[in-house]
Amino acid sequence: MNPLEAIFLGLVGTDYRVTSPADDEYNCIAWAATEADRWWWPDPLGTSYWPDGVMRAETTEAFIAAYATAGFTSADDDSLQPDVEKIAVYVKAGKPTHAARQLASGRWTSKLGRAEDIEHELSALTGNVYGIVGFFLQRTQPMIDTTTAGT
Amino acid sequence: MNATLIAPPERLTAAFRQLADGWRVGTRYLSSTTEIAMHPAYQRIIGLGPQVIPLILTELAKQPEQWFWALTALTGEDPVTAADKGRPRAMADAWLKWGRENGWIA
Repeated sequence: MNPLEAIFLGLVGTDYRVTSPADDEYNCIAWAATEADRWWWPDPLGTSYWPDGVMRAETTEAFIAAYATAGFTSADDDSLQPDVEKIAVYVKAGKPTHAARQLASGRWTSKLGRAEDIEHELSALTGNVYGIVGFFLQRTQPMIDTTTAGT
Repeated sequence: MNATLIAPPERLTAAFRQLADGWRVGTRYLSSTTEIAMHPAYQRIIGLGPQVIPLILTELAKQPEQWFWALTALTGEDPVTAADKGRPRAMADAWLKWGRENGWIA
């Protein structure tokens, strides 16, 4: 079985595609905010980037506050709207685990840990690794069509 | 970046490599720095003590993986500037410089 599908069973039978090589330089939280050169996480030792003034805590509130520094506010759902960029934050056991960004096509782009970026359906990454989609955020700006880091 | 190291005992090197491989497999798809650092293999590497610092620095010279938590835990230091936090390549460079200045890399 494809290694990605062995981990993310929701990908099986969907038309996801890998859009970048593996990369240690950034993670999904950064990628959702369209950054591809930094690793965002509120780790207590402070080894990862976290926006100044935002509590270093693995909570929904801290992640909402972190993304607010990039202009995101709460969104009701994953509906596709012109010039509105949306993020879906996955949550497991009450803690944020992963974030995906909506593309102009309505599909989603994710950086999978330090592995590849993929374009996928939102529900395809729910499951044992990332949990469920917990909340949505949005900001007003032209959406990015490309799914490749640095483009 | 070339790191010439004081070679630790073969058994330590073998144990480190086995644990590092297990850690990479077990955390490949995680974004949480905390979960990555709390992985049992990573914690066992920290438990091996300061002898593994040269081995970690060698890995960092090859690829800027998430070894920063372990290095801070093992040394009690953090040579990374605030501006470079979260930038793995720059963080790796800072730790390699620290390693040279503190005698962990010849």
